[in-house]
Amino acid sequence: MKPLIAVVNILLPILYVIAFIIYSYDFMKGGKKFSNSKRLFLFFAVIFHFFYLLIRTIEFNHPPITNVFEIFTVLAFAVSFSYFILELATDIRGTGPFIIVISILFQFISTIFIEDLVEVREVLRSNLLGSHVLTALLGYAGFTISAVYGILYLILFKEIKLNKFGLVFNRLPSLEILEKLSFYAAVIGFAALTIAMTIGTIWLPTAFPDFSLADPKLISSFVVWILYGIGIASKVFANWQGKKVITLSIIGFIIAIFSTMLTNFLAQSFHSFY
Amino acid sequence: MNLLAVSISHHTAPVELREAIYLNNDEIKAAIDGLKKSLFNEGLVLSTCNRTEIYGIPKDTNTSYLELQKFLISLKPVDGIASEHFNNYFSCGAVRHLFKVISGIDSLLIGDNQIYHQVKDSFQFAEDLQFTGFLMKRVFDSAIKTGKRAITETEISEGAVTVSYAAVQLIEKIFSNLSKKSALVIGTGETGEIAAKHLRDKGIGKLSLTNRTIQRAEKLAAALNAKIIPFDNFKNNLAEFDIVLSATSSPDFILSFNDINTAMKKRNFSPTILMDIAVPRDIDPKVKEIDYVFYHDIDSMNIIVEQNLAKRKMEIPKVEKIVMEELTAFFSWYNSLQIAPTIKNLREYFEQIRAEEVSKNINRFSDEDKEKLEIVTKRIINKILHTPTIELKKITESGINTEESAIKISIIRDLFRIDNSTDEGE
Repeated sequence: MKPLIAVVNILLPILYVIAFIIYSYDFMKGGKKFSNSKRLFLFFAVIFHFFYLLIRTIEFNHPPITNVFEIFTVLAFAVSFSYFILELATDIRGTGPFIIVISILFQFISTIFIEDLVEVREVLRSNLLGSHVLTALLGYAGFTISAVYGILYLILFKEIKLNKFGLVFNRLPSLEILEKLSFYAAVIGFAALTIAMTIGTIWLPTAFPDFSLADPKLISSFVVWILYGIGIASKVFANWQGKKVITLSIIGFIIAIFSTMLTNFLAQSFHSFY
Repeated sequence: MNLLAVSISHHTAPVELREAIYLNNDEIKAAIDGLKKSLFNEGLVLSTCNRTEIYGIPKDTNTSYLELQKFLISLKPVDGIASEHFNNYFSCGAVRHLFKVISGIDSLLIGDNQIYHQVKDSFQFAEDLQFTGFLMKRVFDSAIKTGKRAITETEISEGAVTVSYAAVQLIEKIFSNLSKKSALVIGTGETGEIAAKHLRDKGIGKLSLTNRTIQRAEKLAAALNAKIIPFDNFKNNLAEFDIVLSATSSPDFILSFNDINTAMKKRNFSPTILMDIAVPRDIDPKVKEIDYVFYHDIDSMNIIVEQNLAKRKMEIPKVEKIVMEELTAFFSWYNSLQIAPTIKNLREYFEQIRAEEVSKNINRFSDEDKEKLEIVTKRIINKILHTPTIELKKITESGINTEESAIKISIIRDLFRIDNSTDEGE
């Protein structure tokens, strides 16, 4: 199966690039020429990606979470998958290029550097750990999408304020819709991260003898979780809206990215697996 | 084709003359009665605020556009109108002009699809008055098809090209669902009225109006199911509105920075759109500095209008291509109604049947009979076609290709399923 995995690994970034080109063409032209076909193509790419993750898991006998570049391909999948679900749920099809480009980035790096590891630590073969990492990544994918829509919101907000009626004004959906998309993505991310943290809290202490609540990754995830929790609650209960919530989402995303990078590359703890 | 047309439009005459020559329905009826009596068998009279046009198939081939101009001027005498204010069209040019008019590329406001409905209504009116015959109905069908194709296959009618519609387009870029929003329109003059109607058409949740003279606002409020707020105290209610659209003729600002700032505080800085489409402006432009206030004046609207007009202009070549395609299709049909090709096609049709049947059965005959078979069957076909050929030739000799001949030829072509495309090269 290894040759097949190798071929699919090369095909994946190509598929995402093609999806990006189709979405970008529609965005630039403002037409609806590929309105359905672009969605179908993205669906095909996502299914193909899922198939790739599945055959990797079967062939190497562990979920694809054993090194940074395996994590990257899962992240690329999670971003595209979450966007696809969001597009289906809202039927807003014009913002694809801004999201798909993130998947391209992660998948491209993964395709180049990924290794076929067969020998890994026993704990990494656990399916519970697989679900923990997968849901955590889905959570971060949700936050990424939320931040992208947040940035688009701020750009459009500024353009309208300054009377600039260019491509951004003509092609992006309304401010209210961008705000909603950013919010829904954050909710999806928050829900996924909640599941990841629940699994982690229950399972980690039993799996790792050196488990510590003071673990930096645990603390940073908790901070991110609290931040998004406050953001969502303030919108739902305190009727916060517009730039305030958007800014909170972007700050949450920046903290999430920085803390993940710092804890992954610098700190040494039971939570580092590679 | 003997179609004749005259047109007075924004291309040829100033607005005063266009307004003066405008014909209402009663006047169009009188015009059609007069045209039927003196000039045309069938035709069309189109009159809008930007153009008045008459099309028709003359009774007499010698009828010229000058007589048609004279007819219109005598029907509606207007000071200062002269021959130079008319554009005149004949045959293919007249059909082409009508196709361009209905597709919106001849309009003052490029791509204005109101003209499509106006032309459609004019045809309906002509039909009700029995002024449309065989040819005009076909012209009408082709024109409608051209107009529909222009609207659906190109972006000639896309985007807002009026200030009040641009204001609504901008509002929709901020709020996604207007049914949950409330709007206040200050000033119910022409611009305010149109903007209020656009908001209602877009499904605004709550619509309120205020005006210095309450009577005018009342009339509009009743028509649009809107609430009226007295002009003296509308500022107290300002915080209720997500959208404030101002279009008064006040020489000074009627909403100051402080008015808006106070309202925003009351609204807890919930996003508010202020559309100032008055000249001179009604709202102090400094309000744009307040957070969550989207302030736009008429210059902003004009930027949108200019952009959309530029986009529409870029669509003109696409529409002209459609016009040309439909024109070719129309004249392909029309040319098939000519006598000579029809006789030729009819003879070819019969000859084909004869030849097929002869070739199928030729082996049943002896060698000496085969030649006779050819001669006899050809003679039968010639005899069958003799009378129809003579009758068709009589039409040619009688003069022009009249409506009657067109109908006869059309029936023959339909009955024998003689394809129009066979004549395209002729």
